[in-house]
Amino acid sequence: MADGLYRLRVSYRKDGRLAYLGHLEVLNTLERSIRRAGLPFSVGNGFARRMRVQFSQALPVGASSEGEYFDVMLTEEVPTGEALDMLRRATPSHLGPLQAAYVVRKVPALEAWLNRSVWRLHVMGEGICPEALDEALGLVRRAGSITYMRGEKPRTIELGPTLVGWEFVGARDDGTCVEMLLDTRSSNLGALRPAVLLDAAFGQPPLASSRQSYVRVCRSAQWHEENGERMEPFDETFCASLT
Amino acid sequence: MRVPRTDCFDQLEPLLAQVSHPARYLNHEWGAVESQEGPFHVCMMYADVYEVGQPNLGIAILYNELNRAEGISCERAYLPWTDLSALMREAGVPLLSLETSSPVASFDVVGFTLAHELVATNIIEALDLAGIPIRAEDRDDDDPIIFAGGPSAWNCEPLCAMFDAVLLGDGEEEIVDAARAVRDARAAGLSRADVLRELSHVQGLYIPSLYDVVVDETSTRHGYAVPKPGEDVPDTVYKRCIPSLADTDPCPQKMVPYMGIVQDRLAIEVLRGCARGCRFCQAGMTYRPVRERPADQVVQAAVEGLATTGYDEASLSSLSTTDHSQCREILLRLDERLRDQGVRVSIPSQRLDSFGVDMAAAVSGSRRGGLTFAPEAGTQRLRDVINKNVTEDDLENAARNAFQQGWRRMKLYYMMGLPTETDEDVVAIIRQAQHVLDIGREVVGKGYRSGVTVSISVAVFVPKCYTPFQWCGQLHMDEVRRRQQLLLHSAKDRDLRISYHDAKVSVVEAALSKMGRDGFELVYGAWQRGCRFDAWTSEFRYDLWVEAGQAMGIDLEELAAEPTPMDARLPWDHTSPGVSKGFLKREWRRAVQGVTTPDCTRNSCQGCGVCPVLGVDNMIAGERHG
Repeated sequence: MADGLYRLRVSYRKDGRLAYLGHLEVLNTLERSIRRAGLPFSVGNGFARRMRVQFSQALPVGASSEGEYFDVMLTEEVPTGEALDMLRRATPSHLGPLQAAYVVRKVPALEAWLNRSVWRLHVMGEGICPEALDEALGLVRRAGSITYMRGEKPRTIELGPTLVGWEFVGARDDGTCVEMLLDTRSSNLGALRPAVLLDAAFGQPPLASSRQSYVRVCRSAQWHEENGERMEPFDETFCASLT
Repeated sequence: MRVPRTDCFDQLEPLLAQVSHPARYLNHEWGAVESQEGPFHVCMMYADVYEVGQPNLGIAILYNELNRAEGISCERAYLPWTDLSALMREAGVPLLSLETSSPVASFDVVGFTLAHELVATNIIEALDLAGIPIRAEDRDDDDPIIFAGGPSAWNCEPLCAMFDAVLLGDGEEEIVDAARAVRDARAAGLSRADVLRELSHVQGLYIPSLYDVVVDETSTRHGYAVPKPGEDVPDTVYKRCIPSLADTDPCPQKMVPYMGIVQDRLAIEVLRGCARGCRFCQAGMTYRPVRERPADQVVQAAVEGLATTGYDEASLSSLSTTDHSQCREILLRLDERLRDQGVRVSIPSQRLDSFGVDMAAAVSGSRRGGLTFAPEAGTQRLRDVINKNVTEDDLENAARNAFQQGWRRMKLYYMMGLPTETDEDVVAIIRQAQHVLDIGREVVGKGYRSGVTVSISVAVFVPKCYTPFQWCGQLHMDEVRRRQQLLLHSAKDRDLRISYHDAKVSVVEAALSKMGRDGFELVYGAWQRGCRFDAWTSEFRYDLWVEAGQAMGIDLEELAAEPTPMDARLPWDHTSPGVSKGFLKREWRRAVQGVTTPDCTRNSCQGCGVCPVLGVDNMIAGERHG
């Protein structure tokens, strides 16, 4: 690398009880894991002298994931297998690293670049069936947007650019759980949170006699989409030696 | 029959999605002791939320010592915030430990940290949520033994109805001895009362149930404690004191929290005790003697601790870090070892002189945030009364040095209501702060762009036991308010920023500092009326405390303002940190005369009594100057 820095991309899980960590808590925990691992990380020259690390888009509190990402700048090129082992030994298992590879320096920052997500949802409650949920989601989509409260402030999310689609995977016969996949797209206009969509759906007439008690949310995949083309975080056009 | 020890996380988890900051309740942090095989189980409880309790160094020390002991396991517990405790009560989920999510009521021993007076109602709340009888006298043989200890244990009488044993002084060895004594006594099949008798033989342990309270003409209305007839317990229980800090674990903080906590950094205790002798300061009297940790140990512990925890900041903590005889050497060596790692070293407070500023500069690199000093009083006369041995020149030199070294924001701590304080002393606070501001403008330049500001924070003085001011009444609340207004109206410069403490909070602190066992009725009454998390401004309900006082026929403000006769026997006379009453009386007389007393780590012994009574001595690693 021209300036002696190497950009190591790492994918990691977020599951178990650590699903309840907020985004900042995940960031802090992983930064401390990188320090504990003894990786030769680069430190920025700013006022606060922070580690040079970037993360993918925030997961909601309570959501787990099978594939989150961070890029950390290293001052030495540690073999990826070795780097991954060092990280695994220093990271809580529920945030355990999965894969690592060096990526070229000039790829865009992860947070904005990973603009597509697939979510696996377990919708728990009473009297829930896929057909009614499908109908309710259709009504929400036709409304075009959802206005919801974030803290004490109302926020509106447009569904046209953010909601790609959904599909049902399974359901319990007793109406207590429906499993589905949700496909979303994020942009600088915002990102659709699965729980926001479901809350809106449960306000629709087809689900009037149903009750949602809890949604288990897991992000199962993320990728970059550009002009209809899908590009993976470890795409071989800009990364090598995936471990 | 004791509550069974089972993992109840599955009962807690469904509630987590409904509460704020669920990370408070997750446990399994990096460095937590996951193996909890016991068979003897202790739970250390800090009765506030996780982010307030987790940084407590005392709990970290005791947690490690207990987990290191053969056959003993130790877990932690914190008080859930009000949102979760309401849901837990509704769902019938009891208070749980962190490591194994076991009911707190299932432990052999539960230990509470007495961090300050305002934790009182939270201890009741914790016992209630745990399902443990609140009063010690209502507990059965099988119920956990409840310990308490910590910086606020010196007048534990208002709370001791809840405690089976109170640990006085340094807990490192004491807690293990106490846990073993409970284990062995229970193994021998002793009754609860006899277990407590066994505990009374552990040095430093005070067993409230073995003492009677007497109110007579020699005492105040709060009485004094004497051994119950026939009980083989000492008239006065002296604190436990470890002779050398070098023999203790220099880096007890091995756990790395997931969430942001109030002191989110690695803490290395560089010295224990302070002999400066500030007459208002309880810690300065109760943590004596001064024991410094040698520089080699501090540096090695900080470097290794940062590597194993991943923290990016290390704090050199103590009552007065810049008094450490090897302070400069420690900071230079740490800078050499940690440079280029994006790691920050911090010291919690600066000595009010140029040395203090130099040390602050040594740890801050190129950063210049705010710099904090504590003159405590505005006039030399009052500083002499409180034995704060700093002069106007010290402050002027420190301020000039700080502005020259690049600082722009200065924060000055003061107290209001100190004994002998007059309006002149109050107005002098503003004069002094204005002088510091003027120095800043002279050094840096005038105008908004220079960024020079001085903030003043004024606390209300609370007379604490085992200080030379323990006999004083607190300044009456109306008078505190008048002086606060005087302070505000004396400030004309908008670059002087003034904040002051709520006098109501201080009244409750003063009342609890002064009362004896009669104080429990007040605390219990306040809790019954809904008081929780009193140390949180958002939660503090003075009206409920006043109501609780009225219900037992006391006026809190009058009680707090009441002076104590110097010849009266005091509610805390029987639990001693070793400092003699004669010394405290002499210090009071010198205070009234405005005579200062020097620091015995820089001068000769001043006769506080701690070293001969406890058989210890100051342990200074190098040579102290200045």
